[in-house]
Amino acid sequence: MKSIKNHMMFILPLVAILMGIEFFLVFDRVTNSYEQRLKENYSILVVSRHQIDVDTFHRIDKRISNVEEIKRQNIADKIAKGMGDISGSDLMRALPYFYALHLNSYLAEDDIKDIKERLLRYRDIKRVETFGENHNAKYNLFIFIKTIFWVFASLMGIVSLFLLIKQMEVWQMAHMERMRIMEIFGAPMMLRSGVLFKMGLVDAFFSTLISGVIFYSLKEWAQKSGIPLLESKYELLFSFSDMLILSSMAFGIVIIAVIFVALSTKEVRE
Amino acid sequence: MSNVITASKLTLAYDNGKNEIIKNASFRVKKGEFVFITGPSGSGKSTLLKALYGALKPKSGILEVGNLDMSSISRSKLQKLRSKMGIIFQDYKLINEWTVEKNVILPLIISGYNTEVQDTQAKRLLRHVKLTEQAHRYPLELSGGEQQRVGVARALSKNPFLILADEPTGNLDEYSSNVIWDLLENACSQLGSTIVVVTHRIPSIFNIPYRQLIIENKGIYEVH
Repeated sequence: MKSIKNHMMFILPLVAILMGIEFFLVFDRVTNSYEQRLKENYSILVVSRHQIDVDTFHRIDKRISNVEEIKRQNIADKIAKGMGDISGSDLMRALPYFYALHLNSYLAEDDIKDIKERLLRYRDIKRVETFGENHNAKYNLFIFIKTIFWVFASLMGIVSLFLLIKQMEVWQMAHMERMRIMEIFGAPMMLRSGVLFKMGLVDAFFSTLISGVIFYSLKEWAQKSGIPLLESKYELLFSFSDMLILSSMAFGIVIIAVIFVALSTKEVRE
Repeated sequence: MSNVITASKLTLAYDNGKNEIIKNASFRVKKGEFVFITGPSGSGKSTLLKALYGALKPKSGILEVGNLDMSSISRSKLQKLRSKMGIIFQDYKLINEWTVEKNVILPLIISGYNTEVQDTQAKRLLRHVKLTEQAHRYPLELSGGEQQRVGVARALSKNPFLILADEPTGNLDEYSSNVIWDLLENACSQLGSTIVVVTHRIPSIFNIPYRQLIIENKGIYEVH
């Protein structure tokens, strides 16, 4: 019973830390997915006198990731329908070239302006439409959500850190006497701390497992939750590669904690 | 006979050398001797013992234990030296989360003996200190006298060349004290261990030859 209590005293804060890390990973994936969607849906419209190839656009600005040429024939045909006496081929000769430019990330308003200015400096480009107002509103909302997530994750991190330090102090108190006695009888540091390593690594394993099961269950629930937003993005809630990150973090925390405790209980030769 | 402990003009101090406890003391302890170090409370008996197991570095002078200079001994050599010693404390210093049996074989665990040797030694030592029945109990379930017998068994577990004991009967009744003295006498006479005991009072009945050193006015003197 005492042993279970001792393990739980370490497992619970470690699970809290790992859940904080997993929350951070989930938030990061959600914001990245949202950013990706915004990025894919956003494009800058460019009107040019002559045809411009993809490489030229890349040379103008590296942030342009993809260039989509809007078919002029469709535009010409639509216009020609409304103007009976002008043929589509005549219009084609008079029409400029249209391009939709996609960017490699979702940029701030100033960056968009900067790209616009660079594009307008190119001799063939007549007009650039960035749909700035619409973009800016979405961008600000996105930044707001992302900031809230970051603040939340940071707070989780700080609280977890305090829990960890508190637990280290408990460890220190619980094992100081034993480690000192072992040192008096000539035990090297690794042997003195052996029991802590063993206990910590077992607890790290169980903490990783518990955190993984919680988020896996959450993912399973989200998939069948009936909430469209969760059902469409349920895979963001847990990935098996997270187990690798969580276990590395758990074992890393344990090793640091044990070394901290071992060094702080080292006998001082007066 | 060779010296196990050599102290020459030894000064021991706390507070970065400001508070001198023992000053310019010289003494020797030969192999196989039983030595009592006595003196009034606060005279520096425990301080001397700390220096003998390397927890206190001499301020000046020479202190050699097992031919190792305690002023300049490295951490790894100190660990080796301690693993060959037996140390007994007034407050027992047992690991309360471990069973009596495991406490007894602590020095064997530290030295990496296999479990077969550990088991055999544990049984022999517990029989020797008459605690066979208590092998699987925990220290806090035992009386003070029994705990100190565990401490003595632990000190004897590796047939140490030197046993240091700090007021080993300080907290015990007369019966338990006599048991402890018997065990230490046997360790000296039968195993040939050198024994240094710090105590404020030498037992009235002691069956083997011994030497007495007294700490007075920061000096260490032979009592004849």
